[in-house]
Amino acid sequence: MLNRPSSPQLLRQRLIESERLMEETGCYDGITELSLRAEDPLKFETLHTKLRAYCVSAREMARRISASPGVREVGEMVVAIYTPEGDAIALSNGIMVHVHTMSRFIKWMIRNGYEDNPGIRDGDIFANNDAFIGTVQVPDVMDVMPIYHEGMLVGWAGAVCHELEAGGITPGGDVALAQERFTEGLFVCAEKVGENDELRRDYIIRCERNLRMPIYWVLDEKAKVASCIDIRESVKDLIEEIGLDYWMKVSKEFIEEGRRAQLARTRQLTVPGKYRGHTFYGHVTEGKPGFQPLGDPNWLYNIPIEMEISVDGKITMDFEGTQPWGFHSMNCTPAGMDGGMFVTLTQHMNFEGLVNDGAWMATELKLPEGTWTNPDSEMAATATSWALLLPAYGVFQRLLSRGFLARGFVEEVFVGQVNSPMIEMGGKSQYGTQFGMAHFECAAAGSGALAIKDGLDTAYVGWNPESDMGNIEIWEQNMPMIYLGRAIVPNSGGAGKYRGGCSFISTWLVNKTDHLRLVTSEHSSRVFDNGGMCGGYPAPTCQKHRAVRNSNIRELAAAGKPLAHTTGIDPDRSDLEKAFEGTHEIVEGPYITAPHKEGDIFTHSYNGGGGFGDVLERDPVKTAWDVENGFLTREAAEKVFGVVLTEDEDGMPVPDLEATNVRRETMRVERLRNAVPVSEWMKQQRKRIERADFVPEVRKMYASAMKLSPRFAREFRTFWNLDDEFTFEAEKQA
Amino acid sequence: MTSYTKEVISDLIAGQLPWPQTRRIMSTYKDEDRFFKVIEVLQERVPWDDPILLPISDHLFICQSGSERVTKCECGHSFGDYRRNWKLQALINVRCTEASLREIYPNNDIPDPDWMEIREFICPDCSTIHEVEAAAPGYPIVHDFEPDLEGFYREWLKKPLPEGPS
Repeated sequence: MLNRPSSPQLLRQRLIESERLMEETGCYDGITELSLRAEDPLKFETLHTKLRAYCVSAREMARRISASPGVREVGEMVVAIYTPEGDAIALSNGIMVHVHTMSRFIKWMIRNGYEDNPGIRDGDIFANNDAFIGTVQVPDVMDVMPIYHEGMLVGWAGAVCHELEAGGITPGGDVALAQERFTEGLFVCAEKVGENDELRRDYIIRCERNLRMPIYWVLDEKAKVASCIDIRESVKDLIEEIGLDYWMKVSKEFIEEGRRAQLARTRQLTVPGKYRGHTFYGHVTEGKPGFQPLGDPNWLYNIPIEMEISVDGKITMDFEGTQPWGFHSMNCTPAGMDGGMFVTLTQHMNFEGLVNDGAWMATELKLPEGTWTNPDSEMAATATSWALLLPAYGVFQRLLSRGFLARGFVEEVFVGQVNSPMIEMGGKSQYGTQFGMAHFECAAAGSGALAIKDGLDTAYVGWNPESDMGNIEIWEQNMPMIYLGRAIVPNSGGAGKYRGGCSFISTWLVNKTDHLRLVTSEHSSRVFDNGGMCGGYPAPTCQKHRAVRNSNIRELAAAGKPLAHTTGIDPDRSDLEKAFEGTHEIVEGPYITAPHKEGDIFTHSYNGGGGFGDVLERDPVKTAWDVENGFLTREAAEKVFGVVLTEDEDGMPVPDLEATNVRRETMRVERLRNAVPVSEWMKQQRKRIERADFVPEVRKMYASAMKLSPRFAREFRTFWNLDDEFTFEAEKQA
Repeated sequence: MTSYTKEVISDLIAGQLPWPQTRRIMSTYKDEDRFFKVIEVLQERVPWDDPILLPISDHLFICQSGSERVTKCECGHSFGDYRRNWKLQALINVRCTEASLREIYPNNDIPDPDWMEIREFICPDCSTIHEVEAAAPGYPIVHDFEPDLEGFYREWLKKPLPEGPS
């Protein structure tokens, strides 16, 4: 045990020593025995529950201080307690992704000599939103405060809020147009922003002068400081009660217990072996205003993952073979990758026992240098890193789920999370003032299916397990747009025996403004960025944006004529086109166009989840229910699910079971007729590969992956039986 | 120690257990005897006698078939040695045109077939789709799962792997 209260060592020495002990013993901080747990398990467990209660209570209190609907309504906040070396002991609910990123932030300050300059003193407030130090993206601003007891640093209190406005090149928090760090917005790089429990006035002035909507950021800062002080005082009271020696020891035993619990859980729920999967992401910016000619305008990302579970229960995730980082905002740092791992583990494996940094210590991430997971330039932008992070951890969920299925825990099998496309905006508000914000109703996508039931409709995102779309009225209060409709998107869940959860689409009328910039991000173009499982199909996640400029909606409303409230189910001609006159726009990829004004109409849809199992095993009664309630179209019910529907006396759909059986039998025969042996297909494909008969984006994807990863190149050549020299030429796009 | 009857496990696997009961199973401590109960339920479900060693998909199992360990479909079709990728012995239907993609996604925006295709891996006997890949054209077929079967039985289950006749 290193961290004795009498230890005269500097924090930096203590951190190095703690890491050495972990290396040497394989146990956190060299704790080979959980002696306090053995001595009094009830006291041990009760204390951890108490710490967790401090975090939850501090978070709830802080949410009432915040002005941001992201924090107040959607709960975009997390609070945690750390050891002096920066390892999480306990955390609140909320955006748990940041628990380990904050850990990196604290360790970064320790390693960089903050004890000497700027000094770490009681009452100091440190803030950070630099992903290369320790966060995910620029809007994730974290504050930490040291906890002192009788002059000795005994821990840290930390809090993160996701800011709705970061002052970047495009408005909002997820700064879609940022192509380098320098356009991402206001950076606070592990900076001392307050002393004596008070934020510095000059820091607040900097925020006020560099943000489009400073009220969100500034009040969130106050909310975070309040929660940190609240936690600090609670921990100090607890130390008075249990004694300093006990605190220093138990706080570390909690983490070692968390590490052991994670290993045990892996051994309990999964099967050792190698698991593989992949997903893709299409980035299309060709011809869009504002993009600098730094990189190719269009980019296809492959995200392959190999997960290994060893017999001792350790999970290792390897991203070998993925694409290089690029001049866009979707890069991620190791801190962000850690965060994705941590939040996924807490949802799938740490649902009981002690949840803390111990879980993270029982895993390993292999992030090849130079890829988007680990850029070799700290100038890379990371403002929308969720674009690639979410699909990647959706793959992780499917890989884990394969293990759950093999072990028999079918109720834990989950097809995974999907991207949650953001809409950011700025310009002049409906009150005539400057404004900017992210719309956070995206925190309620459809989830992937389970192996025993359908996915959740409009109720899940991976990054915030307490998913919530927020009330329409709250959003309308904060932005110059009013809702024409919020509607389920039919068929948006991937088809399968159990379908993925459906998503929703919002349709807005731009209201009382002559300048509204709308920008979207984190939605894939031209490829699905999710998958199905065990025969289920991916969810359709490459939806385009539809807008109407100078619409005649006011005239229609005045005449009492019907309006369109969503885009409808005809992909070739939307309901907007059928109902409104004006200039209709259909935009693929990030929506970055000229500003909108009053009378314009805009739609933005979110993602559903992937399906599980063979679609022809779908319960016809559930299918009829889906059609009745708008989750599925009749066309899909018959063509995809093979369910023949008739109508009851009230005109409601009911399945014709006999006709359904006949239809499905026909579909099974068609399947076999259309299919070919894989070996035959591979022969044809090999010829195509030798000709490099692919569009430039696909060729470039292969060329980049093979250049960065000799293993990917070797496996590619082996699979297709190509010679050792085979490669693709990547031509520069126009 | 938590434990459930074979009937409960059978209903759970079939998705027929009432939600409140399922929810309780999800929330409580896990049942340590689950694996072998699931194997028992699955063994009764399949129309063949080869001992199931590990389920790897909704209708795919690694089983002891004579002296060999193979990947087998619920219908009885064998995809060969479990260490090799069963997909390579399957039938495949590739949706790489707008028309074929539209069959599965009739009312939504679809991928660009130049960028992505949908691959359905099908059992040649019963036509079940065992797995679907969404991949860029030319992307190698993924070997989803290579279990450490020996390590699993020896180290985690503490039971010997069932052996077939030599």
